[in-house]
Amino acid sequence: MRVYLRYAFKETFTNLWRNRMMTVAAVLTVAVSLSLVGSALLLKQSAAQASAQWQQGTRVTVWMQPTASQSEIDSVKTQLTSMPIVKDCQYFTQAQDYQQAKTLLPADEWSVLTPSATPSSFRCVPSVPTDAFTVQSTFANQPGVYQVTAPEQQIRQMNHAIRILQIVFLALAAVLLLSATVLILNTIRMAIFSRRREVSVMKLVGATNWFIRVPFITEGFIQGLLGSAVAILAVTALHTWYPLHNEFALNSAALVGTNTVVLVVGVVIGSVGSAIAIRRFLDV
Amino acid sequence: MIRFENVSKTYKNGTPALRNVTLDIEKGEFVFLVGASGSGKTTFLRLLLHEETPDHGRILEAGRDIGELPKWRVPYLRRNIGCVFQDFRLLPNKSVFENVAFALEVIGRPRSTVESQVPQILELVGLADKSKNLPHELSGGEQQRVAVARAFVNRPLILLADEPTGNLDPANSESIMALLERINRTGTTVVMATHDKALVDRMRRRVVELDRGEIVRDQVRGVYGIDEGVAI
Repeated sequence: MRVYLRYAFKETFTNLWRNRMMTVAAVLTVAVSLSLVGSALLLKQSAAQASAQWQQGTRVTVWMQPTASQSEIDSVKTQLTSMPIVKDCQYFTQAQDYQQAKTLLPADEWSVLTPSATPSSFRCVPSVPTDAFTVQSTFANQPGVYQVTAPEQQIRQMNHAIRILQIVFLALAAVLLLSATVLILNTIRMAIFSRRREVSVMKLVGATNWFIRVPFITEGFIQGLLGSAVAILAVTALHTWYPLHNEFALNSAALVGTNTVVLVVGVVIGSVGSAIAIRRFLDV
Repeated sequence: MIRFENVSKTYKNGTPALRNVTLDIEKGEFVFLVGASGSGKTTFLRLLLHEETPDHGRILEAGRDIGELPKWRVPYLRRNIGCVFQDFRLLPNKSVFENVAFALEVIGRPRSTVESQVPQILELVGLADKSKNLPHELSGGEQQRVAVARAFVNRPLILLADEPTGNLDPANSESIMALLERINRTGTTVVMATHDKALVDRMRRRVVELDRGEIVRDQVRGVYGIDEGVAI
């Protein structure tokens, strides 16, 4: 066994060194594709975490026309309080909204505002964040209602953008992973070709099939491993230095999880690439 | 030791290589396999190595039907068969010692075995002083002796030689033959395919002649050409 391990080790590294240009190409392709996979995963986790946090505080605001009559306001109020999906509702009068606008808006903007031109509003919390849409569609066209706003909409748009970005990342990564596998397959094929004399002698003197195969498999395995190591560095760097703050910032557990996926995928494509090469080109 | 029972083999392109061959070779025998190119000599050797499988018939080696061996056992079968070829098949980037040692290393023999067996076998083939040389630094005869050393270092039961003297001058052929005889005297069965008329005639060993895949002659103390021998 020790003899064999020494042999396999020596053969593997001799092969890697002999085909070093191909090895470098394969390792870099694995690294780039896995970096993309890792970034896509981080992005997804960031987005999921951020939108979960935002949704906890989702509010839906029914803005009344500044000219709305009292009966219109009362009607909206009755309906809101009777809706089971609305957990909690608060009415802000025109004066209150004016005061809030004063604190929120820049001076030159609120100075043109007068209390009588400010809409009054109902600030409601739906029991489930997505119910904000129901509230929105129910009240948007009621008499006296100026507008219904829910940050849920922005969250959705943002999530949508992130999802598209993520799909692009993953599609790119898939293509690159495929080419990485083919590259590894090719390096192993070249290794097999450059060692065909040794292989034929090994077969002749009765080396077992696995004895002949293993150095080639470890070669692909190591290429995958090196590629994923580089990708892990890249993903970790992205996590450490990329300016994702507040609710986007991920803890280190998420990073470890992502890096584990990167490592496993790297090792798998390395092994699969060499396994295919061995099946097709190493006739033992 | 080797037994062919009604063995036939036809290649995919339709060329019949062996036709209904039945043959017994005893342990410790020295057998010449003669015949024109394409008569089936090489196929005979490849069948023994399980590099090909017969279409019909059985091949027994050391009492076992090799057609019934599971695929993973084939390497172990080959450990009992040494092989020498016309073109030596040495590894050009390994020294004489490493070439011979390789045969032991790849079947998992420990380093101590390698270190004791290889010098011994190089002594036997008369190349002890060239163990550090690379194959291209040796003459053809010396290279073939390295190949014989590699084939025999594992002490196989059977030694197959496919025209081992085909690329050598008479003097070197002579030394290879002397070596094969010596190996044969240790009890190893030797089967040698050859075109070398002079050698066969001088050795007076068993001669099996193949013609278009059929055994046309089997003589105990034979010669190369049919007109000179006495059929039995």
